[in-house]
Amino acid sequence: MNTASFSSWKGKIVDNRKGKAAKSVDIKFPAQLGVDNVSAVMGWNGLVVMDPDADIISLTMNYLKEARKLSCGECSVCRIGIDRLLDIFGKMSEGDGNKKDLFEVQQIIRGVSVNSKCNFGRSVLFPVLDAIKYYRSDFLALIKGERKLETKEYSYAVTAPCMEACPASLDIPGYIELIRNSRFEESLNLIREKCILPGVVGRVCPHPCEDACVRQDIDGPLSIRLLKRAVADYDLQEGGSPLTGTMEEKEEKVAIIGSGPAGLAAAYNLRLMGYKVTIFETLPRAGGMATVGIPDYRLPKDILNHEIDLIKRMGVEIKLNNKVEKLNLKELQKKGYKAVFLAVGAHIGTKIGAEGEDKGYEGFVDGVEFLRDMNLGKKVQPQKKVVVVGGGNTALDCARSCVRIGFDNVEIIYRRSRAEMPASDEEIEEAEKEGVKFNYLMTPVKILEKDGKVTGVECIKMRLGELDESGRRRPIPVKGSEFTMDTVMVIPAIGQRPDLPAMTGKDKVEVTDWGTIKADLVSYKTNIEGVFAGGDCVTGPAILIDALDMGNKVARSIDCYLRGEDLKREISFEGVNTREQREQGFIAEKVAEKVDLLDVDKRSEGFTEVESGYDVSEAMREAQRCLRCYRLMVCEQAG
Amino acid sequence: MVNIIIDGRKIKAKEGSTILENAEELKIEIPTLCHHKELSPFGACRLCTVEVKTNGKWKMTTSCDTAVDQGMEIRTDSDKVRESRRLSAQLLYYKYPTTAVVRDMAWKLGVEVSEDAKAEGHDCILCGLCVRACREIVDTGALTFRDRGLGRDIDEPRIEFDPKLCIGCGSCAYVCPTGYVKMEAVEDKRIIWDKVFKMAACKVCGKYFAPQDQLEYISKKTGVPLSKLYTCVNCR
Repeated sequence: MNTASFSSWKGKIVDNRKGKAAKSVDIKFPAQLGVDNVSAVMGWNGLVVMDPDADIISLTMNYLKEARKLSCGECSVCRIGIDRLLDIFGKMSEGDGNKKDLFEVQQIIRGVSVNSKCNFGRSVLFPVLDAIKYYRSDFLALIKGERKLETKEYSYAVTAPCMEACPASLDIPGYIELIRNSRFEESLNLIREKCILPGVVGRVCPHPCEDACVRQDIDGPLSIRLLKRAVADYDLQEGGSPLTGTMEEKEEKVAIIGSGPAGLAAAYNLRLMGYKVTIFETLPRAGGMATVGIPDYRLPKDILNHEIDLIKRMGVEIKLNNKVEKLNLKELQKKGYKAVFLAVGAHIGTKIGAEGEDKGYEGFVDGVEFLRDMNLGKKVQPQKKVVVVGGGNTALDCARSCVRIGFDNVEIIYRRSRAEMPASDEEIEEAEKEGVKFNYLMTPVKILEKDGKVTGVECIKMRLGELDESGRRRPIPVKGSEFTMDTVMVIPAIGQRPDLPAMTGKDKVEVTDWGTIKADLVSYKTNIEGVFAGGDCVTGPAILIDALDMGNKVARSIDCYLRGEDLKREISFEGVNTREQREQGFIAEKVAEKVDLLDVDKRSEGFTEVESGYDVSEAMREAQRCLRCYRLMVCEQAG
Repeated sequence: MVNIIIDGRKIKAKEGSTILENAEELKIEIPTLCHHKELSPFGACRLCTVEVKTNGKWKMTTSCDTAVDQGMEIRTDSDKVRESRRLSAQLLYYKYPTTAVVRDMAWKLGVEVSEDAKAEGHDCILCGLCVRACREIVDTGALTFRDRGLGRDIDEPRIEFDPKLCIGCGSCAYVCPTGYVKMEAVEDKRIIWDKVFKMAACKVCGKYFAPQDQLEYISKKTGVPLSKLYTCVNCR
């Protein structure tokens, strides 16, 4: 809660200029935005004035100039309306205005807000309407020539609900618009600015952006993930374009430990800045979890390899089979590395807490290890039955892989119910179609064996109690409900942690109580000078785009570190509801384009990719559905 | 079929058809500058707005790109509709005061049109008809929209022409409502978007009838040998 001189946010008017007892504004501007010394904010959802001396007219004009840049131009009312408003205000500030102009301004704003094609046009002008309504005397003074405009400094920010939900803040409306206009190449370049693995992310991302899509509540979200994939696939069909960028070679060398999404993204960005980059990779293949954690039916290896190859072609060196046994900074420094980025991922399975799990029984294989061996080419002998323990995507990947390897019975046991399962709905539905049997509300307590070979698993039934820290209902064992399941194989897949001993060798990198590396979540610096950390080894197992984004950010942070500069803060929309807009207008329903999935009967025959992508015309049609909910925010800086 | 009500008239409409298509069938006049029945709707001119009742409330929408829905109630001539169209026309007129179709439309929709300026302009109003004809009918994609947007350094959105893809068919000039897209014929040459095309002569009557590039494109697309295409429509 704070007091402001005036606020019209969400259309709720709080006016403290009249000398009455001040009312507080229930938004946390400007502190929430993460920028200091803001005297007034004009955003799509209203006008918030902190300092009564703020120049609202200049703010309005600056806001309109920024709005003009975002007005795509496809529909006439938004494009011409904003031009007309700028002309009218321009005329006013030159002393050539008229009282009647304010009436025309109101008319235009109403027309643009009602008639625009997209949500940008339908929402962007409301704060201007507030300005001329509640700061009318300022505008009248300007018309009369009694007011001079002040020169202030402004900071700008643009987002959209989908962009806010995306860990990497990809310009989703931007790349979708380019698809709509048949500009696939430019769309790919825009995606690559923040997502260097578009073909990979376009296949495996659980797409939090789609959950935030405004169409979600109307006719289902845009298939944003598939649109990204379409752009990457198109490029590959056309021969695969190289990564572009003008590099100014720098002397400094940076070492990256781990070639997963975080390491690759950091490497690409650092290389683009001109740094010499070497990645040290333990495994015989690059890609980290994207390579060894995701089966081919979800992500064919040639897609990933192509995208890694492009990064290598920029001059990034990847040393495979190069495990950093004990982190020794001095040694790396001696070799000329000025900064180190730890991106080792989380490749060790978490214990399930069942008796006998550490006895090394034949048939008891950890989930991440199972997927890693399989992805590195180890042959797995199909068995009569396998029980996979867990409800996340790793568990599903293990189970669905077993179906393809030829196991007769594949069962999953999960300690909560389907509603709490962290795996995506698509994954669960497809697994069900493939014949995976799901057993809910049970957990293993003992691994049964004979002569060192797994023969079964003893489980206990669970019930759901109160909500826990994760916001899901806590599973509680039901006393005396133990029972046994026969099986020859058990794959625990309930979580992963990083392999820290290697990272906490000679140089003691600080770790958290959860067994992850402790790093500052803005700069990604660890306790050791010059050593940064990011990705799963900092967050614990997260989604690919999370790790990739941290790689992007680490690159910026390392760059600042090497140049002795401070990281610049950006305006943050965190905690601001970007889905809200004052008037939504009418949105015609258009159902999303469908894609074909591989015949269920064919799936047990091998690891062929299940999902097909959009072709060019399907992608262009789907892109038409985008409501283009860009949100603009302009802040006047005090002083 | 779905049941809809347009201006109080209860009719059966084809599923997936647009409000505009149904209105046209009922001879209800709805103004447009960016619509063509052979092309996908684009919603650029915002003149074809109508009111649609949703959840008991009347809301504005463009009729060209809104599909009918079971039970949909539509008003095409309310005060709000007329005012909204007038405003859209006013803005177009403000931007393109000398372009004849814009002036006529503005006048028709109640905008005061000044006689001071002459109707001799041929502005591109970004209706997108040429882009759609090029992509959807001809399938060459020589014309594309260059939109403004985040991080793009573009002052005015525009139509972009790619001479490498153009076959000189003239579809864009045919659909252009303002005369902005010009097509000139000079002897055995056709000039369009500043690109010069060599015309092919009909082997029967000898008249120049189509650009060589277009015939080659048709041959490639249809598999008909090029030699069989050198006869004009009149002599076929």
